[in-house]
Parts: sequence; structure tokens; C-alpha cells
Amino acid sequence: MLINSVIFVLREVLEAAMIISVLLALAVNLRETLRWLLVALPITAATTVLFAATLDTMTDAFDGAGQEVISASLQIVVFLCTAGIVYCAQKQRYGVATITRMLPVLMALACVSALTREASEILIYIIGFAASEDHRTAIFAGSAVGTGIGVSLGVLLYAALRAMPPERSFSFCYLLLALIGAGMVMQSTMLLEQVDWLPVGRPLWDSSALISEQSLTGQLLYAVFGYEATPGPIQGWLYLACILAVTVAWALGQYAGREHYGP
Amino acid sequence: MVMVFLPVTALAKTPVFKIEIRDHLFHPAETAIPANTKVKLVVYNRDKTPEEFESYELNREKVIMGGRKANIFIGPLPPGIYPYFGEFNPRTAQGRIVVE
Repeated sequence: MLINSVIFVLREVLEAAMIISVLLALAVNLRETLRWLLVALPITAATTVLFAATLDTMTDAFDGAGQEVISASLQIVVFLCTAGIVYCAQKQRYGVATITRMLPVLMALACVSALTREASEILIYIIGFAASEDHRTAIFAGSAVGTGIGVSLGVLLYAALRAMPPERSFSFCYLLLALIGAGMVMQSTMLLEQVDWLPVGRPLWDSSALISEQSLTGQLLYAVFGYEATPGPIQGWLYLACILAVTVAWALGQYAGREHYGP
Repeated sequence: MVMVFLPVTALAKTPVFKIEIRDHLFHPAETAIPANTKVKLVVYNRDKTPEEFESYELNREKVIMGGRKANIFIGPLPPGIYPYFGEFNPRTAQGRIVVE
């Protein structure tokens, strides 16, 4: 039970830790205050409890597709936020005069949307099993260790992003945000396939023999890129489209910033 | 004309397969489904504790609270063996879909 708890919680925490680390590094690079995080964390705690408490009702909504539809919507919101964040950050960086107030709002929204589902799964797990005397210690210890490892990896990523020269750090933050956002959209399509809202296509390739999704590498790649060993055509094309959309947001932000700063 | 706008699912009935979770085990542990056909799995969680149906091979994940059921569509799939597990009890809750 102990090892299972560690693995389960680590998987859920890893993705959240990655996105928060990138957002933190980007905010600090831009000399933003971290008030968005202080606002986002209590909201996340509330939405997590709400999500876990209403999961039953949610699952039965939309003719049994509720859980997937709501989770997929949250993932799509995360992607929209990442594109918005890249646009605002780029604008702010190039147009010193325009301090856009959208940025902290988008960062907080990305944080809440990305964390709610993962955190509520942990909550459901702990509440579900910590009731039994035999498992309690293992569940709590395992969850603590899993969270510790996940947070440590997040801190490592943050430190790495902050240690780089600013120019490169910005590029890496944008790249990671694009990949995380695109990965979220890809995962959301699979949830919609699960409830028959989207058709299932023939996989474009099968890289499970090369990098298994179960392996540590697979899990890490999943947390950062949304790695999928057998993506279908919908997943492949949407992933590329999302990366392209963030690239466009990046270019538009730079253009808007320069425009404002003016000749 | 109306037929054109009907979803494909309405034309061909989707086969339904039932799986139960009891004492953190899947019953039946193996379900055979036809190849290249979309099917609907109805997973009943008869335990009091929650479970998460998860499969890397099928790209499926769904939390099922204690005493509840969940619908999960899979396929069309090529023939093969697709394992799945209960993420909250991965040591015991193991099952597989055999596509033939």
C-alpha cells in the first residue's frame, strides 16, 4: 500500500508541480508579485473539495459523461490560459509601459484549473482508504513521500529555470507552457473519446515499446509534454495546432508590446 | 435526409459489457470484445471505497465512487490484449480486455 500511495500521489502531484514551477519562474522573471499564487491556492483548496464532494452527481450528469466533460473543460481552460500568459508576458516584456493586469489573473486561473482535478483525486483516495485502520499509516506516509518527491522535482525545475540567463529562461518557460498546454488539450480529447463525444481514430504510432507510459521517464514526459504512446490523428493534429497557437500568441504579444512602446 | 444527420452510434447499436469491482478485484478479470468495434463498458463498483479505472493501453481513466457505476467507451481496436487496473488498488485490481 505504501509504494502504491507514493506512486499514485507522485503522478498526480508531478503535473501540478511542473506547471506551478514554470509559472513561478516566469512571474519572477517578469518581476511580478506572487499574489496570484496566494489567491489561487485557497481557491484551489475550495474547488478541490467541491469537485471531490460532487463527483457522484457530476459523473451522472450529461448522460454519464459529466466527469469527463468537466475535467476536459478544465484542461482546455489551462491551455487557453497558457496561450494568454505567453501573450501577456511577451507584451509586458517588450512594452515596459504596459503592465497588463491580465497576467496574474490568467496565472491564478491556470493554477486552479490545473490543480483541481489532480488534487481532488488525491483527496478521494485519502478519504476513501484512510478510514481503514490497516492502511491509514501507509496511505498518509505514502502520500507525504509522493508529494515530497513531486514538489522537489518542481523546485528543481524552478531552480533550473531561474539559473539560466533571462533570455533563455523566458524561452524555456514559453516552450514548457506551450507543451503543458498542448498536452492538456490532448488528454482532454481522450476523456471525450471515453464518453463517445469524439470518435476514436487509429493510432498514428505506438512508442510504448520505446518509452512505456508506466515508466518513470514516461510519467515525467507525460507531466511535461502530455506524452502519449499511442496518439490518434485527433491528438496529433490538435497537439500541433496548440503549439502553433501559443507560438502565434507569443509573436502577437511581442508585436503588441513593441507597438505600444512605440518608435 | 434525416438519416444523414443521425450520429453513427444511432445506426449501429454499441455492444455493452459489464465489469464489477468487488473486494478490489475486477469480475470478470478478462473481457473478450470484438475487433474494430466500439463497445461500452459499464463498470460497477460494488465496494464501499472508491476506485479509479485506469489503462495506459486503452487511454482510459475514470474515478468510480463506492457503490456507483461508470460508462467507459473503448474501441474500435485492433486485435490484442489491453490491460487495465484499479489505480487505488493496483496490486489486486487487475483486468484485461482481449480484442479478438
